Amino acid sequence: MKDDASKLNIILETASAEYGSALEMLSACKLSEKAPYSCGYFNHAKDEYNHADIFMSILSKYAMNVSSSKARNYRFTARSLIGKYVSAKGYLYEIMKQKDFIAYVYTNELLAKKSFEGILKLVKSDSQQSSLILQIMEDELRHHGLAKKHFLKHYPRMQPLQLMAYRIRETINNRTRKFYFQNLRILDKLLAPLYIFMAYIAGTISILFNLREFDHTNKNLMELSSKSIV
Amino acid sequence: MYIGISGYNHESAVALVDEHGTLVDYYREEFLSRVKGDKSFPKRSLKRIIQLHNIEINQIKSIAFYERPLSSFLTSIRTAALNMPRSLPLISHQCRNFDKSSISCYLDLSRLFPGLEKKLLYLDHHLSHTLTALAYSDIQSDICSIVVDGFGDRSTTSIAKVNNLYDIKELWCCDYPSSLGLFYSSITDFLGFEVNEGEYKVMGLSSFGNSNSLNAKNVFNLIKWNNQFKTITMDMSYFDYHISPTQSYSNKLVELLGPPRNPFVPLVREDNDFQYYADIAKGAQDAIVNILCQLFNYAHTLTGSRRFLFSGGVAMNSASLDEISSLSCVDKIIIPPSPGDAGASIGSAYFAYLKNNHRQNTKLSRPTFFPSNYDSTSQQHLAKQILTDNFITLTTEFVEIISISAKLISKGEVIGISINNAETGPRALGNRSLVCDGTNKDAVNTLNTLIKNRSPFRPTAPSMKYHTANKYYVLRNELIECYKTMSATCKCRMDTESINFPTTHIDHTARLQIVEDGQILFSLLDKLEDYNIQILANSSFNLSGDPTSFDLFDALMVSMRKPLKYIITNVGLLQSIL
Ligand SMILES: [Fe+2]
Ligand SMILES: [Fe+2]
Ligand SMILES: [Fe+2]
Repeated sequence: MKDDASKLNIILETASAEYGSALEMLSACKLSEKAPYSCGYFNHAKDEYNHADIFMSILSKYAMNVSSSKARNYRFTARSLIGKYVSAKGYLYEIMKQKDFIAYVYTNELLAKKSFEGILKLVKSDSQQSSLILQIMEDELRHHGLAKKHFLKHYPRMQPLQLMAYRIRETINNRTRKFYFQNLRILDKLLAPLYIFMAYIAGTISILFNLREFDHTNKNLMELSSKSIV
Repeated sequence: MYIGISGYNHESAVALVDEHGTLVDYYREEFLSRVKGDKSFPKRSLKRIIQLHNIEINQIKSIAFYERPLSSFLTSIRTAALNMPRSLPLISHQCRNFDKSSISCYLDLSRLFPGLEKKLLYLDHHLSHTLTALAYSDIQSDICSIVVDGFGDRSTTSIAKVNNLYDIKELWCCDYPSSLGLFYSSITDFLGFEVNEGEYKVMGLSSFGNSNSLNAKNVFNLIKWNNQFKTITMDMSYFDYHISPTQSYSNKLVELLGPPRNPFVPLVREDNDFQYYADIAKGAQDAIVNILCQLFNYAHTLTGSRRFLFSGGVAMNSASLDEISSLSCVDKIIIPPSPGDAGASIGSAYFAYLKNNHRQNTKLSRPTFFPSNYDSTSQQHLAKQILTDNFITLTTEFVEIISISAKLISKGEVIGISINNAETGPRALGNRSLVCDGTNKDAVNTLNTLIKNRSPFRPTAPSMKYHTANKYYVLRNELIECYKTMSATCKCRMDTESINFPTTHIDHTARLQIVEDGQILFSLLDKLEDYNIQILANSSFNLSGDPTSFDLFDALMVSMRKPLKYIITNVGLLQSIL
């Protein structure tokens, strides 16, 4: 039995991933070259927004019953997706080749479906929520099928074998990503004393600064140097 | 061409001012990224501006950034350092995120448009706010500027005298960490709302509170105007925002007020703890009004001016304006439509312009309320299949769009409007709005709950022509400009039916918009007179948690996700067939 915190965390992470996918698809919809593709991405984005909404309502339902000090840590903000669920460099369609993008969608939809199997176990006691998640899993399979069709139609020479290669690559990427973040967290804990020591040094030095030098009272703000960053 | 940029701390945005000193384009990054409150380096906005206007890098004379990044960084570190060792996690966090702070603007620019970084200028953060307000003001000399926000690059509140565009003297400031903005945000956080977004909710909730309750008084006493030393004093032991990377208030505040609200539990008027939270909100609102009044009085003493520019995030506290404007020292208050940090990019762009055009008679031409360039026909072709699969076009003629929409509104329908250029935000002024008959309770309810999922204690704003506003509400001359951008609430005339309008708040106030000739809402209101409707309920065109829709796809997406049947666009009046 998972404890509250990890349960809430998994649901929040899933909601965030779904919202992130919606943003990716919406951006693909606006940047694609042809109306039918645009429409396909638009419908996909709509599904992903819908999935995010469902997970957020599941999140509310669970978080409502834990203490407020705990629940506050699981608030969703779109802003926090940047750098975690969507790249800070830009959306995939903005930074990837179209072919890579479609292959990426193809593999990710399948991985998404898999990750829901875990969530299904989490909420199995609630039949209404289970059926919502089953519905989402069906959506993901459909997305996967559409991406596959799309891919094979436009890149007929990219045979299933190559798609498989993409899939393996993404699966490994996903695992390494998780592995990387886990290690990063461990590293963070290990290095915490060092960071704190460095913060202490930085803090001590900063006290030596005379902030009065930044004081601009009785000065004409239009005449201060516009090249100075202090 | 001159560019202004804001970002990294609050919402990021880019503004473009041309050789004549006219604001020609402006985007909040969230319009384009679709991430609400996006504060990352505004690369999409910058790219769009440069591409849309075919600007060569050498045509850009200067690009101004809305704060002095190192001073902002050092001020927060130094303040935290005074509270070591408790603040070490914050200092460590700040140092490790150094590369994500505004100091990296120079590098981000050079990566995106090499060469542009050499044209970078910096200005005081509060000056960028002042210049934004100044641009929207018909008076550009001999006026007092009051800036109140969370935290700029040095101070959190300041008073300056604008003698003319080139002589803006700062006369007083309040140093970080005492901050009216961060005080209100901490209470917002305590009440379970999102900081930088939920402040509106606190303001709405406060109307239900009781100033004489113990909780309201306790909150009120946390921040004071010290008349002897002319400064804002805060008991910082109740707050943690200056020493913690994650916590805005301290355990001592929890001891004082009780447990913070669980953000996931709906706040419903009938519930027992509703009054408890409303009282806390009331205390915060009373404190804001009290200090702002003292501040305006002091600013008048310092500058002798009776005319005020008011900007910074706290200037969005529309509920405080009615009382401030009743002070005997106030003749006029100007608030820009986007007084927060996103809007500060406009002031920064004007700064770049002023620095390059030092002439005696230079004047800033007043920006339009709808500066973000867009026309949905530009995406019509790409959206063709979405449109044919899901919508029918009722008409493409503007006159017919208006007459059919008016008829639909008279029948209780909610209409989405996504036409022409977009407003700066955060308030929807008609080009990116959801509207319905403002006197029809069911229609307003549909808009609020079925489509927008708004908190029930936050009323929707009413939009109307001046003569209607004057008939139903007590308008204050000092705030006439503010009413055009929904920047101030006003009281109902108690002898009129306005007290029962669904857009009227529990305390008989409304955050109205006076619509001007030339705006689409004006045309709609004209036509609605045939149906004896004079007031539109007007809310921003988005679903809760999303940014206001900007382009055609965003608008269509809202309609596909929620029961919104009709949308006015440049492509025509669309009806959803689902
Ligand atoms: Fe999904
Ligand atoms: Fe999907
Ligand atoms: Fe600010």
